[in-house]
Amino acid sequence: MPDGPLIVQSDKSLLLEVDHPRADECRRAIAPFAELERAPEHVHTYRLTSLGLWNARAAGHDAEQVVNTLIEYSRYPVPHALLVDVAETMDRYGRLTLHAHPTHGLVLEASDRAVLAEVLKSRRTSGLLGERIDDQTVVVHPSERGHLKQVLVKLGWPAEDLAGYVDGEKHPIALTHDAVPIGGGPIKHWELRPYQAQAVDAFWYGGSGVVVLPCGAGKTIVGAASMAKSGTTTLILVTNTVSARQWKDELIRRTTLTEDEIGEYSGTRKEIKPVTIATYQVLTTKRKGVYSHLELLDARDWGLIVYDEVHLLPAPIFRMTADLQARRRLGLTATLVREDGREDEVFSLIGPKRYDAPWKDIEAQGYIAPADCVEVRLTLPESERMTYAIAEPEDKYRLAATASGKNRVVSRIVETHPDDQVLVIGQYLDQLEELSAHLDAPLITGATTVRERQRLFDAFRSGEVSRLVVSKVANFSIDLPEASVAIQVSGSFGSRQEEAQRLGRVMRPKADGRTAHFYAVVARDTVDQDFAAHRQRFLAEQGYAYRITDAEDFDPA
Amino acid sequence: MAERCARQDTPARRAAPVGPVGRGATGRARVRTTSSGGRARSIVRMSTFPEAVRALTDDALVAVLRARPDLAYPSPSTLRSLAARAASRTSLDRALARLDTPTLQVLGALVTLSRSGRAPGGTPSDDAGRPPLPTVTADDVAAAVGATTPDDAAAVDAVLARATAQALVWAPAPGAVAPAPGLDEVLDPVAPTPLPERWSPVPPAPVDPRPLPTAVVDAEAAGAAVEAVRLVDTLVRAWQDAPPPVLRSGGLGVRDVHRTARLLEVDDQVAATVIELAAGAGLVDDDGEDPPSYVLTTRADAWDEAGTAERWGMLATAWAGTRRTPWLAGTRDEKGALRPPLGTGLSRGWVPRLRTQILTALATLGPIGVRPADVCADLAWRSPRAVPPESAVTGLLAEAALLGVTGAGALATTGRTMLDLLDPDGASTSSPGGDAEAVLAATLTTILPEPVDDLLLQGDLTGVVPGRPSHELVRLIEDAAEVESRGAATTVRFTPASVTRALDAGTTADDLLATLSRVSRTPVPQALDYLVRDTARRHASLRVGAAGSYVRAADPAVLTGLAEDPRLAGLGLIRLAPTVLAAAVPAAAVQSALRGRGLAAALEGPDGQPLGRLAHPARIERGGARLLRAAYHAPGPASDAERLALVGQLRIADGGGRRSPFASTAGGTAGVSGPALARAALAAAGRTGPPSGPTPSAGAGTITPGDALALLRDAVRDGGHVWLHLVDGRGQPLRRRVRPLRLDAGRLRALDTQRGSELTVAVHRIAGVDPDDDPGD
Repeated sequence: MPDGPLIVQSDKSLLLEVDHPRADECRRAIAPFAELERAPEHVHTYRLTSLGLWNARAAGHDAEQVVNTLIEYSRYPVPHALLVDVAETMDRYGRLTLHAHPTHGLVLEASDRAVLAEVLKSRRTSGLLGERIDDQTVVVHPSERGHLKQVLVKLGWPAEDLAGYVDGEKHPIALTHDAVPIGGGPIKHWELRPYQAQAVDAFWYGGSGVVVLPCGAGKTIVGAASMAKSGTTTLILVTNTVSARQWKDELIRRTTLTEDEIGEYSGTRKEIKPVTIATYQVLTTKRKGVYSHLELLDARDWGLIVYDEVHLLPAPIFRMTADLQARRRLGLTATLVREDGREDEVFSLIGPKRYDAPWKDIEAQGYIAPADCVEVRLTLPESERMTYAIAEPEDKYRLAATASGKNRVVSRIVETHPDDQVLVIGQYLDQLEELSAHLDAPLITGATTVRERQRLFDAFRSGEVSRLVVSKVANFSIDLPEASVAIQVSGSFGSRQEEAQRLGRVMRPKADGRTAHFYAVVARDTVDQDFAAHRQRFLAEQGYAYRITDAEDFDPA
Repeated sequence: MAERCARQDTPARRAAPVGPVGRGATGRARVRTTSSGGRARSIVRMSTFPEAVRALTDDALVAVLRARPDLAYPSPSTLRSLAARAASRTSLDRALARLDTPTLQVLGALVTLSRSGRAPGGTPSDDAGRPPLPTVTADDVAAAVGATTPDDAAAVDAVLARATAQALVWAPAPGAVAPAPGLDEVLDPVAPTPLPERWSPVPPAPVDPRPLPTAVVDAEAAGAAVEAVRLVDTLVRAWQDAPPPVLRSGGLGVRDVHRTARLLEVDDQVAATVIELAAGAGLVDDDGEDPPSYVLTTRADAWDEAGTAERWGMLATAWAGTRRTPWLAGTRDEKGALRPPLGTGLSRGWVPRLRTQILTALATLGPIGVRPADVCADLAWRSPRAVPPESAVTGLLAEAALLGVTGAGALATTGRTMLDLLDPDGASTSSPGGDAEAVLAATLTTILPEPVDDLLLQGDLTGVVPGRPSHELVRLIEDAAEVESRGAATTVRFTPASVTRALDAGTTADDLLATLSRVSRTPVPQALDYLVRDTARRHASLRVGAAGSYVRAADPAVLTGLAEDPRLAGLGLIRLAPTVLAAAVPAAAVQSALRGRGLAAALEGPDGQPLGRLAHPARIERGGARLLRAAYHAPGPASDAERLALVGQLRIADGGGRRSPFASTAGGTAGVSGPALARAALAAAGRTGPPSGPTPSAGAGTITPGDALALLRDAVRDGGHVWLHLVDGRGQPLRRRVRPLRLDAGRLRALDTQRGSELTVAVHRIAGVDPDDDPGD
């Protein structure tokens, strides 16, 4: 015990020393109940949360196991209060159960009457629960199953959901292990990577939940494999049309599904097929004050619902999804951080985190390209500093982010990577237009038609075009396997997930094993720099150590 | 008074003799010996309680007096009166309050048996010499309380022996036992004491005990101890920079408590405890100034130099003996006023005794996670007739946990050591700075984890100390990083603000990086290196300073040489920019000095426009110059003749060369003795005196109001005496020798020691003050 790899702090954080010989063993032991919070080079920080402990209970771990694990790996005596708290927290789980009653339908049953009384008394549960059957059982409106679970978690009495899932309409789907690679070429054999298989198993065992994998680690394949496991009709919700097309292509290549079986439900097309891919946007479109496309959710007896990029789930979807609790739900994301702090709602509506792999682990296994992150600091010229100094606070970020000197820095960086496919990513259209002209590179923005986007992306993939200037439309879900350099000139303020997603654009493993480069060009001594520091936090916590260089001495390394 | 007694007789306490107790039914030997007397002594058959008391050996009597100190104060005239007092209601009540459950059960049974007619007892109304049979025996009592096993019977025996040693039980005949007269009434004045339902020779076991490994208990105690030291240290540093004011009624104001709590990142209750700890250890104290504030004492110097364990020793020793009740801070007293921390309303005489009882209870309960309710139950068993309030028990337990005397609810090694240093009434056996501190510090050292010298630096600008940080690391972390999590390990984050703090403290970027790379096993991450250098680059780019005035010129050449000119050195000129000099003195002084050098300097206003002639001579900056202003207005000797007279008075006052204790501080005029100063201001006092009344008697002397107040303040602080010249309501002058207690709100509260009364005087009625050098009181 005195030489364990883990230090248990009384504030419920767990510090895991990575270089310790027993670190891996320990990581596996604590993973079921502790949330990985930060994963920098030497010491990873995990945190014990109520939700995490309850998820562990749901997955069949008991308090004793948790306590023993902590004691076994801890270097110092474990704070007693923490152990007591772990036991008490885990004991709260399962006092309430949700299950299907033969006559009353969905019911909430309590093994502890006082708990049920407390829950019934709470104002939050009003309207969610129906009549009382006896002093331990109460009817639940089936449509409020998700909402009720969410409320119960907030009340501190999480319900164990034993009501199960509807099977859904059967539809055979299988993985084909021979696929044509994306750029064309001979058919290649492929298998699920070990972590993908683990993720699918973890999801399937848990029934519903979120799988967190780094960008470029093959989340689509986890989706496809889950569909194959389910073997049912599936509704896939994605962020935009381009992404919908990519899903479709990928499914056709990797599974037995044919083009006819996959429908696209977007602004332009409204197909409902055994496997339907819909965009968040179309679902949240309101016509005359009502969501007109909600019927899609009930259009078929879906057996599985996949949420791509679940961290972007818009708030209305939260509400709509609440009554889909009887169906299996799979959430996919690389960065479950939301600046609106609604991570918990994602967990309670879609399900707990079922699988999470630190980016650096996947990188070490060679499935994503190693990346070199550099922050380039640009000193503004005197005149711009004066303009900045007297600008209104709300204009400062825009001023700093679009500093004209950035164009020069970007072109110098581009020059140092003559053989790479370079993406320049930014937030402000006028800045991007300038850059596009400056670099003589095509520009893709929200205004670019889907057809044009597809064309440009294809050209970029095939190497016809080696530089591309893109707005935030390319933040997510755009597969550009050969892109190896990304230059970020501006972003949406301090968004951590945006930064990570943008890095993700260049993280597909390269054919020649090249290192990917990610540059963030930042104006020194401005809010741009402060936002950059915040944006980098997620990646820094994943172990991507940013190098900071001055634009002046930017050295073609 | 009882407490004083208790303290006085402690040295011999542990030598309590075993009293004479017999067990008739078994027919075993009747005769016991006193253990401490050394002489075997047979028990004489006697029939009354006073007789029994009189027959006690000297040692036994000493034991009685020791166990019941109230019997000796005031000293009784005869043994008979001692016996009467021992049977008095008040004394018995006191004695019973200290008895534990089995003793009370035994006494209750004895009283009941004696009442039921089986024994005549020894009530004072009994005639001497009346045959005392049949009697109650120890076995009867044992049977009555339900003590059936031989062990239980032995326990009853022991209880009776202890009760006898306290003169609560006596032996009317060999083998017989009887309650002291009056005991029946005290035990239960109305109904006969019912026999106990359950014989409870041992304290109740805690409900649902959670056994704890000693290592866990000690580790948590050590963690708490380190944290307590850190909290006090943070407080001391903060108060050093900004001493909080003392409330008019004493104590620390609510806002300052909140502020301290925010600073320490704890709630108000814990903050109050920490504040009381710091004050208890003598690190901060009321400075007695006007207005008074809490400032650091010289003991804080020792604190600064001490290591963690020594510091903890200081805190623990102070806590072990304190009578303060920080848990009452923030509650309201009978008048509805808030009790502030450090206020007088928080002292309770019973605290030390209760603390010892609690620690004893914890020691008995052993290494289990103890809840306050368990301790209360234990204490209720120990003294059922004087159960301490639960809030006090909870409060003391919280303090013990905070200080690291307990860990996870159980008594830690540190707590055991502390208990060994305490006597039963809670008086600490050592004074501050003495052995106790060293012993406690040494004990803490044995349970503190080894300090760690490593700081693991990471690319996300965080760092982790995987253990208890060493002294050097603590300093580094405090100076240059924000702590994110404390406990067995410490995690920190470096931010521009934290690095700025380190740079403010005088570190340079290179020093800081050198230190970081020395404590880190891995190279300093590039991001951190850049952060430090970048912060240093921006550090101090804006600078703020104080200046009295400035000199500016359109032509830099005019200013050249002025700052270096020795004749202008008194102006404190600094060149800020080619055309601007800053001066330390007011504008008028600079102007005249420059003119003296032949430079035509013009004054300008805040708007940069020339002012022309300055209407007033140099004005003194508002605030911070009160003394100077007083000096300007103080009437001073105008001619040499007057100066000579003053010198003469000084000589007379100095008399035998004895200097007044106030001399050095009175009125801020160092080197002039108090009375002399007072007389020097004679004329002024005459002016302030009432127009109708006669001037104070010649030679008594009075002084200017400011000096009078200064003298009074000194006297309040030093607890000294002064002669007060007053003017009463009818305009008559009075002269009183008093000890000033408090000076505020325009009133002086003082103790007239000769008359033994306290008087409150409005300051404007004080015509003068003379220091009184006579220490006799």
